[in-house]
Formats: sequence, C-alpha cells, structure tokens
Amino acid sequence: MSEEPQGAAPEESGWHRLHPATPLLRGGIVGVAIAGFLVVQFRDFIVTALVGSAVGQQPHEDPLVRWLAANTWPAIGILVALLAAIVGLGWLSWRLHAYRVTDELVEEREGVLWRRHRRGRLDRVQGVDVVRPLVPRLFGLARLEISMAGSDGRIRLSYLASERADALRAEILTAASARRRRQAPATAPTAAAAPARGLADRISARANELLAPELDQTVAPESLVEMHPGRLVGATALRLGHVLVLVLAGVVVAAVTRPFLLIVLIPVVIGIYGLAGREVIRSLRYSIASTPDGIRVGFGLLSTANETLPPGRVHAIELQQPLLWRPFGWWRVRINRAASPGRDGAAGQSGATLLPVGTAEEVRRVVGLILPDWTEPADFTTSPVRGRWIRWWSWRRNGFALDARTVAIRRGRLWRRLTLVPLARVQSVAVEDGPLTRAMRLARVDVHTVAGVVRAHVGALDAGDAVAMWCDVEHRTLGAMA
Amino acid sequence: MSALAAAGEAWQRVSPRYLWADLIARLVPGVVVTGGLCAVPIASGIGWLWALPAVSAVIAVLVLALTPKRVRSIGYRLREDDLVFRRGIMWHRVVAVPYGRMQLVDVSRGPLSRAFGLAELRFITAAAVTGVVIPGLPEAEAETLRDRLVALAESRRAAL
Repeated sequence: MSEEPQGAAPEESGWHRLHPATPLLRGGIVGVAIAGFLVVQFRDFIVTALVGSAVGQQPHEDPLVRWLAANTWPAIGILVALLAAIVGLGWLSWRLHAYRVTDELVEEREGVLWRRHRRGRLDRVQGVDVVRPLVPRLFGLARLEISMAGSDGRIRLSYLASERADALRAEILTAASARRRRQAPATAPTAAAAPARGLADRISARANELLAPELDQTVAPESLVEMHPGRLVGATALRLGHVLVLVLAGVVVAAVTRPFLLIVLIPVVIGIYGLAGREVIRSLRYSIASTPDGIRVGFGLLSTANETLPPGRVHAIELQQPLLWRPFGWWRVRINRAASPGRDGAAGQSGATLLPVGTAEEVRRVVGLILPDWTEPADFTTSPVRGRWIRWWSWRRNGFALDARTVAIRRGRLWRRLTLVPLARVQSVAVEDGPLTRAMRLARVDVHTVAGVVRAHVGALDAGDAVAMWCDVEHRTLGAMA
Repeated sequence: MSALAAAGEAWQRVSPRYLWADLIARLVPGVVVTGGLCAVPIASGIGWLWALPAVSAVIAVLVLALTPKRVRSIGYRLREDDLVFRRGIMWHRVVAVPYGRMQLVDVSRGPLSRAFGLAELRFITAAAVTGVVIPGLPEAEAETLRDRLVALAESRRAAL
C-alpha cells in the first residue's frame, strides 16, 4: 500500500484525479431514475401540495402519504439531507479516486469505505483502450482502460477529458512498447492548450471530435482497410444467414400449424436480429492501422472505442471463412491475447475480433501487421488418405506448415480456418492419440497458447508427422525464446 | 508415440508407492457406489435391478486392474531446455513445456498421499490447457524437483 496522503492534493506525488464530471455521469442515470420513481409515486401528493388543499379533504388511505401531509417540512428536510449525502458521497468518492503513471507502474486507488489499490507493471500491459460511450462523448470525456495479463487485470479510468486520455495512452504505450524514448514535450502542449479556450471553441472542438474518425490524429496513421457498410451487413447476414433461415422457417411452420408457438419464436428472431444489428453498428467506421506503439483498432458510430495492442501481445491469430463468404472472398480475423476480454465489449466483439470482415488482400495486410515476415506457406503437411475416415471433407486441407517464426494450421473444408501461432508465444505443445486413432496410426497435435477463442490444434495427422511436428514446434519455440 | 518412448534416455517414473495410493483412491469410490447401488434392488425387491451394482462392480474391477499400467505410463523427463511429460494408456498424451514458460510450480499433498509420503507437482504456464500434473512423487523428491524447476525457469526466463 502507498503512504501518500489520502485526500489532500494528490497531484504532489504524481497522483491525478479523474474528470470532475465523473460522479455526475456515473451516478446521473441512477439519480434520474430515482427522481422519476419518486415523482411517479407521490404525484398526487405533490400536486395537492402545490395546488393547495382546495378540494374536499378526506384522509388519504395510505399511511405514508398521511404522515407526509402532516409533516411536510421535516420530509423535505430529510429529502434534502439525503440528496446532500448522495452528492457528498459522490464527491468524496471522486476525491479518493486517483491514478498515477510512473516510469514502471500504473496505479489506481479508489473506494470510500473499502479502499482498493491496484498497480500494474507497464511492461506487462496487454492493450490500452480509449472508450467513448455516447453520453460522456458528448461532454468530451473518455474512459481509458488498461488491460493487464490475467483474468481480472483491468484498470478502468472513467472518465477523463478526451485529450488527457489520449495523452495518457501515448505515455503508457511508450513505456509498454519498450521504446524508452521520453515523450514529455509531446504530451505537455495538449495539456497546456486546453484551459485557454472559450465556450464557442469548446463547442466546435466537441463537434470536431464527434465527426473525426476514431483514430488519433496526431499520429495520423492510415487505415489499412475500408469497411463498407454494405459488406458488413452482407457478411453478417451471410454468417448468421443459416440460423436466420432456419428460425424464419420455424416461424412460418409454427404460424401455419401451431400459432401459439409464435410467442416463443418471435423473441428468438428479434434477439438474433438484435445481436446481428449490434455487431454491425459496432463495426461501422472500423479502422485498423499501424502506429509506432502497436496496432490501433477503432470502431463505433455513436459510442466509439479505440484500442491499441502493443507489439508482441498477440498470441494466436485465426482467419475464418464461413461457407457463404467464399463467393465474395471475405475472411474474418480473430486473435488470442493474454488480457481478459472486456466485459462490456470495450474491445469490440468480445475483444477477440480484430477484423470483422475483410477481403483476402486486407487480411494479408492485417496479418502483416502482427507477423511482418510471415508468407503464406507453399505446401502444408496434410492428413494421410486414411485420415478421410475422421476428416470426411477436409482431409486434403487439414494440415500444418512451419516456418522459422510461425506455426500455421489449416483446417476445415466447408468452414475454412487458418490458425497462426507465433512460436515466440507458444506455451507448450502436446501430441495425443486415442484408441481409435492409434489403430489408424493417426495422432493429434495441440499447440497451447493463452486461453482465448482461437484453439491451435490439428488432428488426423499421420502419427510420424505428428511426432515430427511436435518435436519441431518445441525446438523452434525454444529457439524463438532464446 | 512409441517412437517418442524409444528416443533417448529413459523416463523418470513416479514412486511405486503411488500405485497403492492410487488403488485406494479408486477402490473407495468403487466400493461406495457399488454398495449404494445394492440398496436399490434390496429396497425395491425387483430382482433384475441387481444388474446395477453388478455393472458398477465390473467397472470398478476394470479400473483397478488397469491402474498399475496407468501408473507406469506416467513419466517425465528433464531435458536441457524443457520438461516433457507423458501419461495415459488408452489416450496417450505427451506434453513438452519450455522451462522459461513456467509461471509457477505448485506442490500439494492430499491426506491420502501424505499417508504415503507422496506429493503432487503442478507445472503452470500461461496456457490453462498445458495440464502438466506429476502425481506420486516422494515428498523430498517433489521439493528438489520444484527448486530445480524454479532455478531452471529463472535462468531461462522469457516474457509471456
């Protein structure tokens, strides 16, 4: 624990507070809801109190209302005291919530009764996200999320002024990407320029921020892909298409035969459409670019998010092509990383989708960001002919290829997948077989990476090939670590 | 996988005492389940329900009969830069873990293994699926192995 002064002037030791509007934004919605509830509950009472007891007074049946009528002033006093307590508490929690970024650590402390102090090492930072939900965004505020390795490894600073969040991100990333060049002059001017603005300037700045694409303008990276809304809608529809068709068919059949089943099915349809719609809206205005600090992904229309992956934080990549995407040549890119995926989708679609849909050329560019010297292997070691009995459709494709830095695993005939694991990130390798596969002289290799959506394994390989792959992956991993 | 077993030096085996610990650990649930299932035909008085405890007893006996082979199948090998671990008779599994990937080593003893003076060593990496758990090591050996692994990992430290 730190021994810095707990309330007064935390700035002395490098501690900073969040933006003063924070309690208002965090508690604002709850406050409005409570006020609305109270107004609805005591509408009659308030109306009588305001208009005056004009109409005939019979005692109200509700004892609470009767008590309120008898003690109006004390009741107002209690209400005011309650409000003051809430505001005071919000203010106190804001005062006690502070963060600090030093050369090696990022620290956060918060809590009024239950104090919490977390600190993370900057060289273990797995990603930095700047999230701007709609309402805070209108006020020019942003949330900074720093993900560390581990299941609960997230430091959330909500809310900061937008420029402050960007500056802080730059500061953290500079340290995280292990490029130890000091950027003090680069961050200072933004902080100095901020206070000197008039109201009109502020409003136009807000407007500019809202309209600007979700990428840091100071670094001015150019997006590697261009997301056309049409492609996004088409791709999502095709990916979820078979589900939708099935459910719609179910609805039609149900409507004809058993109308009461519609009560069950219609919410399902709405749910699926809602999910798809949300995915599309979140991916609109998608951009991905390379910056000196790592890969930057930005997306979102109204609420925006903008995440940065420092170099070397991607543990596995998977390119997927659902069957119906094939005529269009679209692919999807998903990744594994050590950070816990953001619960509320700060990191996009559960933090794992790097590119929702892209052409082969775009995917090549995105993969090039992560694995710059990877080239598509010319030939894969695939399953032997007898593997057909286990991989009915895909045995010709099912296989692996190794180069000096990467394991590539190709799977699936109908739903194509290509999994890439940088050898420097492999945690362990296993080779496995079971009674049936052993009888067929087949085996399976499992390349272990940190937990995530991507699983790098390949089955139905010739036992000799599998053992050779296992040995090779292990040797090259050891080589890549050294 | 036989190719793996043949290559190079021999595997380190677990303690022979582990066989007894494992036999007891598997005998107890077998007896309890079989005994519990005996209550079904007795209580209901339906004769053919004796098939339930019979099946359970057969499974328990099979499991016990395979135990020596399964215990013998557990082996590990400390190579220069990595630990290789294997187990399984029906489902073979051989895992190689570079020492530098170690996040922590865990030595634990349950009441039964303590009675036999044994301990279990877990090698934990950043990948949850690595699953290297070496059971049935004599306590002193487990601690030596742990210290050795920590030292090896320290000298080959790598980033996550």
